[in-house]
Amino acid sequence: MPCRQLDNHLYPYLDGELVEGDRVEFESHLASCEGCRAEVDRESKMLLLIRTRARQGAVAAPESLRAKLTEQLQGETKRRRYSAVSKLAAAAAGLAVCTVAAHTGWRSYQRKLYVEDAVNRHARAYPLEIEKPSAEQLEAWFNDGKLDHRVAVPRYQNAGLTGGRLINVRDRPAAYIRFAAEGNRRLGLFVYSDKPGDVDVTTEPSVDRSNGFNTVTWRDGDVVYTLVSDLNDDDIRQMVPPLQAPRSAPMLVPASYPH
Amino acid sequence: MLGLKSNAQMKAEFEQLAMPCLDGLYASALRLTHSDRDAEDLVQDAFMRAYRFFDKFERGTNFRAWLFKILTNTFINKYRRQVKERSFSEGSERESVTAQLFSADATETAANPEDHLLDRLLSEEVLQAIDRLPIDFRMVVILADLQEFSYREIAEILDVPVGTVMSRLFRGRKLLQKHLQAYANATPNEGPIDLTEYRSRKNLG
Repeated sequence: MPCRQLDNHLYPYLDGELVEGDRVEFESHLASCEGCRAEVDRESKMLLLIRTRARQGAVAAPESLRAKLTEQLQGETKRRRYSAVSKLAAAAAGLAVCTVAAHTGWRSYQRKLYVEDAVNRHARAYPLEIEKPSAEQLEAWFNDGKLDHRVAVPRYQNAGLTGGRLINVRDRPAAYIRFAAEGNRRLGLFVYSDKPGDVDVTTEPSVDRSNGFNTVTWRDGDVVYTLVSDLNDDDIRQMVPPLQAPRSAPMLVPASYPH
Repeated sequence: MLGLKSNAQMKAEFEQLAMPCLDGLYASALRLTHSDRDAEDLVQDAFMRAYRFFDKFERGTNFRAWLFKILTNTFINKYRRQVKERSFSEGSERESVTAQLFSADATETAANPEDHLLDRLLSEEVLQAIDRLPIDFRMVVILADLQEFSYREIAEILDVPVGTVMSRLFRGRKLLQKHLQAYANATPNEGPIDLTEYRSRKNLG
């Protein structure tokens, strides 16, 4: 081996990083080359010296650092624990959101069921118990203890009262009020109590379509009103009387409650 | 509940692995930063980073090497620029002093064997000489000679090929010897030696 290659093998040899074959080859060279042997010897002493001195001079980590790290590890672990807890809380909150979402879904499904039932009953044209009353008479008739909730009869300028009767909307006792509008159109208004809040509707009227009828449903406190008619979407919205609480967007309504 | 338990276990496991490395980390950080305070900060940064990424550590692989990889990365990312800027003028000044010493001594030779001379070197001087190495060489020398990592581990830690580790180590150690020679030669009542001449001859060859 030419001595020029000493540099390539010197440290790997001393560091024990030469592969077996190279090591054997290098050692056989050293056996025959005094110059390289001396240099390897010198370097090995030097390396040993440096390592020994460096080790002797090495400063241990200060106790304060050790304490700080222990404390920080503790803090970090605690933070993680909290984050695990908050993740749990987030999961719980997520579950709550899902529950709320599910409940909302359920309520809107309930509304559909109530609306559908109202539509079916309206279509069957049940006989009326009181015919051609005035609005006041009809309100008096309903509100004398027949129902647990108060019934307000809307006054329509373009639709007259045909009459009313007690009826059920699904499981709920309801007032049924029939109107006759231009062109021999029948409109049926169902008024029932929804104290448990099962039906997804607010004071803001919701329009649904069921079995070829359009419906508009709105809420006044615990009382839910569903008007069934064959009017188109826009017209049926206008049949909703203004409620006591002012609406954000005033609607054009040709109807009013009793003065 | 499972999450809480594994956190505590994780901490215990980390402490068990990392705490014995603390002295080595600190000693290396001192050589890298040249300051007690920066060394503490560096170790603290690296240590907590390691803890945060402990779940990324592949169990069964070399934890100490992993820890030193984080230390050197943290140093390179956070401290190197400051330290470089601060020590640049000092470094070049020292370099010229060294050069003067060498040029003065290289003209003379002595019969004294160099190892006898170098034996008198103090730990402090060896560490100072390491501190003066350019950072790339210094990191390799620290990892190889202070921490006694293998070439492959150093390559892994510094994210460079093994060949690069070998060449940096060669140049780093040679430079270190040169620095140490300067210390030794600066010692009063000791004659200069022929190491420098030997080396310059070898470098030419």
